[in-house]
Amino acid sequence: MISLIRAAFSSFYVSLRLRIVSPWAMMAWLFFPFIFAVVGLYVLGRPGASSPHLVYGVLGGGLVGYWGIAYLDGGLSIQNERWSGTLEQVFAVPTPLWVILLGKICGSLLWGMLSFFPTIGIAYFGFHAVLPQVDAGRFAISLAVLSFSFLVVAVVLSPLYALWRWALPVLNGFEFGFCILCGFMFPVTTLPDWAQGIAGVLAPTWATRAIYASTTNAGPHDFGAWWLATIGISLAYVVGAVFLYRLVDRRARMSGELALA
Amino acid sequence: MSRTSQSAIEVTALRKVYASHRGTFRRTKVRTVGLDGIDLVIRSGELFGLLGPNGAGKTTTVKILTTLLLPDSGHARVLGHDVVSQTDAVRRRIGFVFGGERGLYWRLSGLDNLRYFADLYRIPPDVSRRRIAELIDRLGLSGREHDKVETYSRGMKQRLHLARGLLNDPEVLFLDEPTIGLDPVGARELRVLVRELADSGKTIFLTTHYMFEADTICDRLAVINKGTIVAEGTPTSIKRLVENEGVVEVEVEAISADRVAGLRTLPGVTAVSVVERELAQVITLRCASPADLIAQLGVILEGIRLQKVSSREPTLEDAYVQLIADPS
Repeated sequence: MISLIRAAFSSFYVSLRLRIVSPWAMMAWLFFPFIFAVVGLYVLGRPGASSPHLVYGVLGGGLVGYWGIAYLDGGLSIQNERWSGTLEQVFAVPTPLWVILLGKICGSLLWGMLSFFPTIGIAYFGFHAVLPQVDAGRFAISLAVLSFSFLVVAVVLSPLYALWRWALPVLNGFEFGFCILCGFMFPVTTLPDWAQGIAGVLAPTWATRAIYASTTNAGPHDFGAWWLATIGISLAYVVGAVFLYRLVDRRARMSGELALA
Repeated sequence: MSRTSQSAIEVTALRKVYASHRGTFRRTKVRTVGLDGIDLVIRSGELFGLLGPNGAGKTTTVKILTTLLLPDSGHARVLGHDVVSQTDAVRRRIGFVFGGERGLYWRLSGLDNLRYFADLYRIPPDVSRRRIAELIDRLGLSGREHDKVETYSRGMKQRLHLARGLLNDPEVLFLDEPTIGLDPVGARELRVLVRELADSGKTIFLTTHYMFEADTICDRLAVINKGTIVAEGTPTSIKRLVENEGVVEVEVEAISADRVAGLRTLPGVTAVSVVERELAQVITLRCASPADLIAQLGVILEGIRLQKVSSREPTLEDAYVQLIADPS
């Protein structure tokens, strides 16, 4: 067990180090969230304004950046190994593939969290916008629950991208669609009913709602229900992930496609 | 099934068929036979070479034995463990190195690559520290271990690959064309290392295109063609397959296809090949009697300036060419 934890931590550490030297990773946590934050803050309020929706401008860019890294970078954990020609090497070791990927995806998530620094920074210094009423404890728990849902989404996407070549271009196109459905930039309640229905089965939606609720007094505060909804839906995704990982193991060894980019 | 005494690898009727698609609009399924029921037994401590042309089934064999690929039928056991159902047991006790530069994290140092893979092999930290230091020293990477892999030469990358393959002190080491792309000095150094590893008691399964390499370091060989083993034995015994023949080499400035065809019709000639060498073409003819053949050459090569004519004993390459050209 200790050797498995060490293997996962080592994957986490290598994943972080590879991101530090990657220009794309720099753009993903610094530049893109910054742009979203500026646009969001400009649209949602004037400098110093404290409307309930302004919190979406303060945190929205960070959430979009965090999601983007979890969704693409975390989701591409298997594909990245394939592109760098190391997939066969990490596949044929005594450590199960899911343990290695768990470490790598955790590295992606930590990297993704950095997205909040430029966005909160530009909100405070550029627009004098702050979070009006932060409940630090509930905010931290909500962020942890959201991170768990992002982790599970990346765990599910990793084998999906590896199994089917069409999955990456198709799901890449949905990246920002999910941002809208999960309510990163504005409340889900502003969406049409059918879209709210789809949003309801997306695990991050409920944790995002809890995050925003923890920063303001306005609206309902059903934290327990939202956290449980996120965790429950995420666990349902895990069941799907188990099936997908077995399929990856089987199909990769049947077709000999591990080394193919 | 009990493990045959002293055998490290046992392969029985192993078969693998690849399925792929051809065409864009009208897609048709294509089935390619990778392995067509091969049998092999490799003894513990043996340096075994598998020779064959591209697409013959060498890499397929290695990938099945290293648990990266599933066979369609047949059985393969490594150190007594089934490669299909006991993958974890097999992976703990084997190492593998594939030819080429990929398979390493180029933006990390050589040392970081080794540390990472040591953790993935679940080697205790105190053991891995000692072993990594030994491997860096033994494989000539000392002084460069902190440099990023992207700054390494091809030979250094290949030595790092070998170090990675040896991290778990494997009992069986699979080397798939390990010297491909290396310069002659680098290739020679690697061959010496491989021989030393075999002498230290490791079982080594090597695939290669290079006959000289196989002849020099392997204890035993098999030649595979179109998924079938066409010959097996020591390098000497395989060379004996063409021992009744001699080889005549003729170096000319240029020769037409018609004249080459003419050479094939000469009495006693069993094979003709032409290769470019610097500013000349070298025609290699295998025949029963080199002396008689040299006497007849003038008829076909009349008017062509002969730079050099020589005869020699057949090599492993000559035997290989015969086996590949005529598997029967």
